[in-house]
Amino acid sequence: MAGKKNRNYLSGREIRAIAKANKKEIKRLEAYKNRVAPEEEFLSEMKDPGNILEIENLHTYFYTEQGVVKAVGGVSYNVPKHSVVGVVGESGCGKSVTSMSVMRLIAGPTGQIVEGSIRFQSNDYVLDEYGDPVRDEEGNLVVEEKVYDIAKMPINEIYRVRGKEIAMIFQEPMTSLNPIFTIGQQLDEVTLIHVPGATKEQAKEKSCEMLRLVGIIPENVYGAYPHELSGGMRQRVMIAMALAAEPRLIIADEPTTALDVTIQAQILELLQDIKNKIDGSILLITHDLGVIAEMADYVVVMYAGKVIEKGTVREIFQDPRHPYTIGLQKSKPTMELDDGTELYNIPGNVPNPVNMPSHCYFKERCNRCIHKCSGDYPGMVQVSPTHYVACHLYGEEADHG
Amino acid sequence: MADSKVMTPAAETVEYDDAALQAAYQKARKKQIKKDLAQPFDPDCVLEVRHLRKCFPLKKTMFGRVTKELVAVDDVSFKLKAGETLGIVGESGCGKTTAGRAILKLHEPIAGQIIFDGKDITHLKPKQMREFRKQMQIIFQDPYSSLPPRDTVGGLLSEPVKVHKIVPNDQVKDYVLQLMDKCGLRDYYFERYPHEFSGGQRQRICIARALSVNPKLVICDEPVSALDVSIQAQIINLLKELQREMNLAYVFISHDLSVVKFISDKIGVMYLGGMMEFGTKEDIFKNPLHPYTKALFSAVPNPDPDNKMQRIALGGDIPSPANPPKGCRFHTRCPYAKEICKHVVPEYQEHEPGHFAACHLLNEK
Amino acid sequence: MENVELKEKEVQEELSVDTPMDKNVRLMSPTRMLLRRFFRSKLSVIGLVMVIGLFVFCFVGPLVYDAWGENEPDKSGKTVYATNEYDGKDGDVQYTVHQTAETEQVNNSEAPVSTEHPLGSDKTGLDTLTRLMKGGQVSLIVSFLTVFLMTIFGVLFGGLAGYFGGWVDNLIMRVCDVLTCLPGMPIMLIIGSAMNAWQEAGIIESSWRIYILMASLTLISWTGIARLVRGQILSLREQEFMVAAEAMGYSTGRKIFKHLVPNVMPQLIVQMTLSLGSMILYEATLSFLGIGVPPEQAAWGSMIEVITKDQGILQNHPLIWLPAGICIVIAVLGFNFVGDGLRDALDPKARR
Repeated sequence: MAGKKNRNYLSGREIRAIAKANKKEIKRLEAYKNRVAPEEEFLSEMKDPGNILEIENLHTYFYTEQGVVKAVGGVSYNVPKHSVVGVVGESGCGKSVTSMSVMRLIAGPTGQIVEGSIRFQSNDYVLDEYGDPVRDEEGNLVVEEKVYDIAKMPINEIYRVRGKEIAMIFQEPMTSLNPIFTIGQQLDEVTLIHVPGATKEQAKEKSCEMLRLVGIIPENVYGAYPHELSGGMRQRVMIAMALAAEPRLIIADEPTTALDVTIQAQILELLQDIKNKIDGSILLITHDLGVIAEMADYVVVMYAGKVIEKGTVREIFQDPRHPYTIGLQKSKPTMELDDGTELYNIPGNVPNPVNMPSHCYFKERCNRCIHKCSGDYPGMVQVSPTHYVACHLYGEEADHG
Repeated sequence: MADSKVMTPAAETVEYDDAALQAAYQKARKKQIKKDLAQPFDPDCVLEVRHLRKCFPLKKTMFGRVTKELVAVDDVSFKLKAGETLGIVGESGCGKTTAGRAILKLHEPIAGQIIFDGKDITHLKPKQMREFRKQMQIIFQDPYSSLPPRDTVGGLLSEPVKVHKIVPNDQVKDYVLQLMDKCGLRDYYFERYPHEFSGGQRQRICIARALSVNPKLVICDEPVSALDVSIQAQIINLLKELQREMNLAYVFISHDLSVVKFISDKIGVMYLGGMMEFGTKEDIFKNPLHPYTKALFSAVPNPDPDNKMQRIALGGDIPSPANPPKGCRFHTRCPYAKEICKHVVPEYQEHEPGHFAACHLLNEK
Repeated sequence: MENVELKEKEVQEELSVDTPMDKNVRLMSPTRMLLRRFFRSKLSVIGLVMVIGLFVFCFVGPLVYDAWGENEPDKSGKTVYATNEYDGKDGDVQYTVHQTAETEQVNNSEAPVSTEHPLGSDKTGLDTLTRLMKGGQVSLIVSFLTVFLMTIFGVLFGGLAGYFGGWVDNLIMRVCDVLTCLPGMPIMLIIGSAMNAWQEAGIIESSWRIYILMASLTLISWTGIARLVRGQILSLREQEFMVAAEAMGYSTGRKIFKHLVPNVMPQLIVQMTLSLGSMILYEATLSFLGIGVPPEQAAWGSMIEVITKDQGILQNHPLIWLPAGICIVIAVLGFNFVGDGLRDALDPKARR
């Protein structure tokens, strides 16, 4: 065994070449990220004013020692106003990285947004020349609608949208609250930071209102520490926190994965309820098809850093087109299923998007391959006004029709 | 949820004396346990568990006397035949993992009886237990922490074979390669390290390790919960295939009802350490008796956007197992709870042949 | 249409050949990853150079530069002549007689830098460079032995305490507490003076002194490593692969030494490297105080010690004591840098 070279390992020369290339790219992208730029440079226009968020051709890469991981390789989807968009996919498909890119929370210097645009319709406070918020005669803050391209924003301008206009709910309710502050303190902080000139009393009032909104009696919880609450309660608090700054978009990254089924049902119901109460959209990221089916209006299916199918929830669940989407739905044992002898499964492993081939990424696991699949990566094909799929099987159809 | 089961408070005028009821219940229970434990062993069963109970000390006095304890598993009983799968479902803190480990005697000390292959192994010493270890194995949830990080796949699969002398030393490698093939692992994985593999492949390695000693019983502790959906299906199919091939008995622990339904022959539903309902798959899914089982089923999200099911809403949180509610464990969240549920522990009874449940509502019908 | 189907079938067959998607993902081998992490930090490279340089200097140096022995004074010092004068009177002539006689041959002490003595010589004419190299040998050997011994004790007791827990753990940890309370230096001083008595009585030889001292130091300083090992084992014991080993029915010895201890090695190596620096410092201190290495043997500590007796050397002859001081600094810094570098390289949390 000794002396035999393991072909699975990189050689020293390759490692050095990777490190050199990474260093150069990271330096360039970090400089871009940390630049000082005037507002005009990252103002943009929405393609469709009915959307609140438009992601177009987004590329987010991780420059690791093993090579460039193209976690997100050209993702485009929109979030219309007042709707729930569900992003579904397996581990490493880039669904979370996309949402982190929207929040600009990608951990540098290895992780970088390389290309693409994230357009977000924002309600920003109007500032005067001194940087103070402008108020009208009645003392209310003046708000103006602007479209920011988040991908082009310098990192120190991101406070304009992060947490205020776009809020995030994380998977781990156990670790996303700071254990040494009370729930009240953490909730108040959100208002104090994001609403200019808010007083402590206003903040407390707002916090209690938010707690009531998520079904918690504020008197019991406001002064409590996170460890005194159960997982479901903490997730409720997280939701209240996300709501406190009255965001226009809530990104929920696997909000119920760490919770028990009965608690998950409660939280899903709460999210539905809140969606109707607030004037905003939800971007729901999960691997659970059941959750998506219950919650979402539109579904985006991702695989290995690319969107392979998107459409309305009915289209995706009742008329799935991509072999992966179909396989994914069949491989989940359902409650109705009556004693199948064998569960359908997609062979092979979930790919790690390093050194991906130029052909369809799903080719190796696909059971409906045609010759064309060995060619270029398939483009997006429109099968209905709202339904798109990236698969060669449907290319022909679209060409003729 | 406005149905006929809404209780009528006028009828509830009985005064309950908690202490007396508790004492009476304890006395009756002790008597019942004593009677059950004296029964002869069922020769058909690979595994028979009788009144299993496991507590963890929470508070101790200076001299080591336990003053407060957490009852992780309370009074769990079932039988399992070779080639059968028992699914245990429940939410976090219900004691399903502890039960699984207690059966393997990885937790000590325990009360009740564990009868493996016609022998009572409850009170065996660790050294005597070693004989039985190779006949009962376990697969864990997290395929990352359950493999030793500094051993090659071949090394960690050969070790148990060598230790238990399953085959002569010169045949170990062939045996392991054969086993790897059976579990869908390629032979060139032999010299690789676990950290080079994805979760699904690691879980296959774990399965191969568990099967390397030719066990009769495998405890699967949430084996697919950490895996992706497409990989889950592969692992479940692999487990089923191996079961047919080697006539294995599985205890399949999971919080995912659909997975449990797919793989199990019998199902036990646990809540806060206690078995709430037990029966065959058909019993449990077609005719659930216990309100908790019903609520659990209705809470699973349905992957069909047009068929949003009617939920039985369970309010509140799961109580802490360190401080379980008096009376029926489930009464704090039960939509049908009555006054009696708050005071009297419901008896775990056979309502249909082979279908057990613990609920007061069932006795009234 | 049939043709298309046929073609599809061909493709299917083509695909059934083993083409795993992960074949294009190649990893870094564990060794390479470790080396990369280590060499990424400049400090650890500097530390490694320091440590290797020191070893070469102390162990290879004496083979190359062997002009002087460790205890061989340079006797080529200038000859001292005694001049006697006495006056005489021979009649009216007065005369003075100068009589010069060679009285003694003196060592070439406190010599400046020359080709003969690259770093000069000390007060007794011993070559500083030779003494420096020999002193380094003692320091390195002694510190390595001590750390090795310390690790054995630490792993043994820490492992037992961590694995068995309960009263074994309690007992060992309380012993650790007591040992941590003992002040190291005063105890060394007491043992040092006790050894003076034994030496006079002829029970021990003077060259054993430092080893006895460091051995007793080991006895009170293994607690650090024991605590480390215990902590690691306590957390590893709860890991599922240990539960799996238990379920496999492995013997206790196999579980501890085959499954637990190898996983503690990274932290252990770091701790050992860091301890090496402090042990060198300890040895130098003991020699400085005169209770360690005997005067006839070279040691960095005792080379510095001369300045306490002679202010003139401190002021006028820095070459006698400064090199030894620099050597100590290099040794301690070097081992600490290497230790820190190893810590970063071996940290499992940093590994992806």
